[in-house]
Amino acid sequence: MSAVVTNILPQDNPLTQAPALLSGTDMGLRQQTGTLVGDSGTLPAVPPDSALQQRAAELFRDAENDLHRHTDHLFARLMLVQWLAGIAAALWISPLTWIGDSSQVHLHVWAAVLLGGAITGFPVWLALQHPGQVMTRHVIAVAQVLTSALLIHLTGGRIETHFHIFGSLAFLAFYRDWRVLVTATVVVAADHLLRGLFWPQSVFGVLTTSSWRWVEHAGWVLFEDAILFVAIRRMLQEMSEISLRRATLEGSNLEIERQVVERTAELSKTQAELLETSRLAGMAEVATSVLHNVGNVLNSVGVSAELATSKVREFRIGSLKNVADMLQQHSEDLPAFLTTDPRGKMLPDYLLKLAVHLAEPQQAILEEMQMLQKNIDHIKEIVAMQQSYARGTGVVESLSVEDLVEDSIRINAASFSRHDVNVTREIAPVPPLKTDRHKVMQILVNLLSNAKHALDNCEGDRLMSVRVAQNQEGFLEIIVMDNGVGIPAQNITRIFSHGFTTKKQGHGFGLHSGALAAKELGGTLKAHSDGPGLGATFTLTLPLEN
Amino acid sequence: MAQYSQTAGPAGSPLPQWPETSLAHRAPGQSSLVMFLHPRCPCSRATLGELELLMAHCQGLFSAQVWFIQPEGMTEDWVKSDLWRTAAAIPGVQVNVDYKGEEASLFQAVTSGQTLLYDVSGGLMFQGGITLARGHSGDNPGRDFIESLLNKKIAHAASAPVFGCALGWKKTQKECTACQQ
Repeated sequence: MSAVVTNILPQDNPLTQAPALLSGTDMGLRQQTGTLVGDSGTLPAVPPDSALQQRAAELFRDAENDLHRHTDHLFARLMLVQWLAGIAAALWISPLTWIGDSSQVHLHVWAAVLLGGAITGFPVWLALQHPGQVMTRHVIAVAQVLTSALLIHLTGGRIETHFHIFGSLAFLAFYRDWRVLVTATVVVAADHLLRGLFWPQSVFGVLTTSSWRWVEHAGWVLFEDAILFVAIRRMLQEMSEISLRRATLEGSNLEIERQVVERTAELSKTQAELLETSRLAGMAEVATSVLHNVGNVLNSVGVSAELATSKVREFRIGSLKNVADMLQQHSEDLPAFLTTDPRGKMLPDYLLKLAVHLAEPQQAILEEMQMLQKNIDHIKEIVAMQQSYARGTGVVESLSVEDLVEDSIRINAASFSRHDVNVTREIAPVPPLKTDRHKVMQILVNLLSNAKHALDNCEGDRLMSVRVAQNQEGFLEIIVMDNGVGIPAQNITRIFSHGFTTKKQGHGFGLHSGALAAKELGGTLKAHSDGPGLGATFTLTLPLEN
Repeated sequence: MAQYSQTAGPAGSPLPQWPETSLAHRAPGQSSLVMFLHPRCPCSRATLGELELLMAHCQGLFSAQVWFIQPEGMTEDWVKSDLWRTAAAIPGVQVNVDYKGEEASLFQAVTSGQTLLYDVSGGLMFQGGITLARGHSGDNPGRDFIESLLNKKIAHAASAPVFGCALGWKKTQKECTACQQ
């Protein structure tokens, strides 16, 4: 600790330059400081190192400089007040000197104005122009004591005015610089010595006095000085302790800041990793969702393929082959065969009927192929959507809501047909929807697929309705209703949770991803059911512009 | 300023015997102190402070009266300044107005603060001031002389410089300027 104190006190510090006067101070300060810092319990007992000492010394010097500057400014004001007070005292006590009924301004008034001004002017100028400098406070000390002398004189040597000296010394102690007190004391002593020798009545009030009487007066000043030195020493101790604490605290703060920066960097890194993990997980979830949706579409694809296959099977390829064989057998006499042979004569009608018969499944196959193409396109869109999600961008298009609804119904149409689901539409005229087509399609296909599943085990009419309207808030509402199995109250919110499903082969992704997609589009997806067996209503609400 | 403080006023030529024509009352069987003051003289404040000490130190040994000059044309309010009130507040001191300085003229006192001590028989024992310098309180030879005379420590007449403004009853500038130089 000693090293700390020695180093934090600047070279011109009173404590380091008054070994005779303040012997043992350094040791006392050292011990006290060490105890305070070490035992405070509020600050960590940081081992003193050179950086800490250097910083503490810097803070000490700053605090000392602030104190000196502040005290200089205080004295500048005080000295101006004293000057004015001296003039006021002269005007009050001895304004005029008289001869009978005639008078003129008393010499004391001029002395108060001119001499007081001379004493006050220079130190005030120094305090304002060069605050904090060593010379400034010493000049102030000299001027302050001279002011005491002037005030004593102006008040007719009143003993009470001598107290101004002692007050001035106390005030000068504000500098916490014992040398300033020494300067003031030297001036007081010199004044008493010189005036005691050459003008004793002006300072001691008697004509003749001992040539050592000035020592008595200076002794009383030294008595006050001694007390003030002790006070200054204690204040400097406190300043050095505060500086050391501040330096320690700053060190702690720097360490904390460093750790904060370090932890923040770690957190940022972890956050980035989490973000990437989350993104990958999100992509996996989307992939699952995509597979789910692709699975839905593949059902339709399968149905279409099956239908096309059965239609192809219905083709009477064998009859056509028989006709071909017959024509080949009679290739040499084909005209006779067609005109004379009873089978040959029936052949044109037969071919005509065969063509008619083949045309019907061909048309059905064509329709299925078209549906198949649409389903394949939708699968492409779903895959593209995943790629779009993976890239983090979505394409906003102006869409016809009716077309969106029809497309999503069409994707599921084969399934609806196979399960005898009667789909009704109530589509009110609404403005075009500006949004991401594939996300809306994903939601609607899923909702329709779910509704179809809800109707699978439903006895009686299997009814599904799709309603489109604009609500009072201006949002688009697409409502999918069914009269299927319904949703128990306890599941009404859980159905949107990831992985929750009531279907035997479900994965619990459809509604979850649908709700997320709706949210991403700025809308909501809500479910309502009056209970098991009472059907369900899903409402997709979207802003018309996204 | 030091020179100003230390420059004494003219002492005049006080009468060696109490003037019987004076309005001032001489107490029988006691020494009598007569002090002349200019009511506006700032230096005389210290004189009254010394008189107060004198009255305290030598209580019952003498009678004291202070005469305040009232120059012609000045009102009594001008005379009854704070110095008047200070003097009147000192126990045992009789305060009077000296219109046109007639009493000062009679006693030949010319400087404010001039103090005259007459013994029981009316003989002048002390003349001068009881301050050390202009307006300065403190121990001074004038007060010491008076205390010694009253306590019969000395028997010879004594004097001391007087510091104060000119009382102004003398008309020539030369007679009055010493205290203002």
